[in-house]
Amino acid sequence: MRKVLVLNPADNIAICLADMDAGTVIDQDNLKLTITQKIPRGHKVASKAVKKGEGIIKYGERMGHATKDISVGEHVHTHNVLGDRLSTEVS
Amino acid sequence: MSLTGYKRSDGRWGFRNHVLILPLHQILSAAARDIEEQSQGAVAVSHDWSQVNEKDHERIIHSLAGNATNPNLYATILLRLGTPIEDEVISRAKSYGKTKLIEISLSELKSLDKLTQAGITEANKLLLQAKSEQRVAAPISAIVLGLECGGSDAYSGITANPALGVASDKLVEQGATSILGETMEILGAEHLLAKRAITKEVGQQIIDVVARYEASINYEGIDIRGAQPSRGNIEGGLSTLEEKSLGAAKKAGNAQFTGVLEYAIAPTKAGLYFMDTPGHDIEQLTGFGAAGVNITVFTTGRGTPTGSAVMPTIKVATNTEMATAIPDIIDLNSGTIADGTQTLEENGQEIYNLILDVANGQLTKAEIGGHHEFNLSRLYGSSL
Repeated sequence: MRKVLVLNPADNIAICLADMDAGTVIDQDNLKLTITQKIPRGHKVASKAVKKGEGIIKYGERMGHATKDISVGEHVHTHNVLGDRLSTEVS
Repeated sequence: MSLTGYKRSDGRWGFRNHVLILPLHQILSAAARDIEEQSQGAVAVSHDWSQVNEKDHERIIHSLAGNATNPNLYATILLRLGTPIEDEVISRAKSYGKTKLIEISLSELKSLDKLTQAGITEANKLLLQAKSEQRVAAPISAIVLGLECGGSDAYSGITANPALGVASDKLVEQGATSILGETMEILGAEHLLAKRAITKEVGQQIIDVVARYEASINYEGIDIRGAQPSRGNIEGGLSTLEEKSLGAAKKAGNAQFTGVLEYAIAPTKAGLYFMDTPGHDIEQLTGFGAAGVNITVFTTGRGTPTGSAVMPTIKVATNTEMATAIPDIIDLNSGTIADGTQTLEENGQEIYNLILDVANGQLTKAEIGGHHEFNLSRLYGSSL
């Protein structure tokens, strides 16, 4: 059984299919990484390193950008992502 | 896998060969239902239109005329009072397709009983003729697919919707037509969809229909952008409005958009389209049926039995728990993607295969359950 879901090969995030603890090792579908913090089910984990200002790619499309550097295995959510055009979050 | 269907004399393809009973005034709706019940397999719809001149006049004419000539129909029996506005619906229908149209008029028969009896006799005659028609080999381009979602949940955007997108992409690649609806659902991702448009003009049309929708919402004093993603969405893991809207739009996969359609209007060539429709499930189905969609896939997180009189409607569950709880409503489970037991590609291939099976005649759960809802969509409300 897979622990994460990769939606598109171009993505820099994967979807956690279960609640993840720090230290969980992912090794599936040519993806190897270690989860570095608690991430709830359904949330995103960085599968590639993302620099501040770079796009967050999901489904092969840009869904927003990183507001700080994000390393592989980190939780990707409203604390480090902002929509490009519209957002309810305060930057 | 081979595909078979009914080749219509106007060049379109059907995957069912129904006889539809369509009342052209709300007072004939009960007669339509009686004819369905007492005939040997006709399907009826009912609605609340009373032929009053409305601002939505054109929208209603398109909806009725388009559904009367859906390619899945062998014939349509139009129940009418004998008014000029009905003539308008019928002449419009004749311009859409060559579906056999039979008129039964209350002004000629003078009684609802006689109208119902005439309807039953006519329906049974047409049903016999329909049965004698043979399916023939059809190309994949015969498929005009409707993409719909209703009762979405946190899994919709990662399971059923992108899996349906895989199936839609496979069909469009082979020359089929696929139509994405629900303007409200793509709000926030329209600039991303516009980049996938075949021309700059089509891209601008996508932006424009969303802006038009947004203006109508702001008019009501509601700021929908401020409300999304909602707190529930954020708790579920959605970080931006683009992400939420992409989750809905992914039903249309990654193909290029060939064009934008007004509600209930048929595309003129193959490819992927966006249609400006309401979010309301049944109004969306009515718009697809009018546009000549001959099969619809409907993804659902909470489970809904909704079906159509003119199109087989395949229900795809976003999560295994719901799919297991209501197997009488769900045709296929995409929850396996979130369970980690199936890839998006594998599940998308299953949806693709099921679309072909259903096109070839396999009944959907909505068809077995006798679900054929119908709603006329109005922008302005009825004036009387």
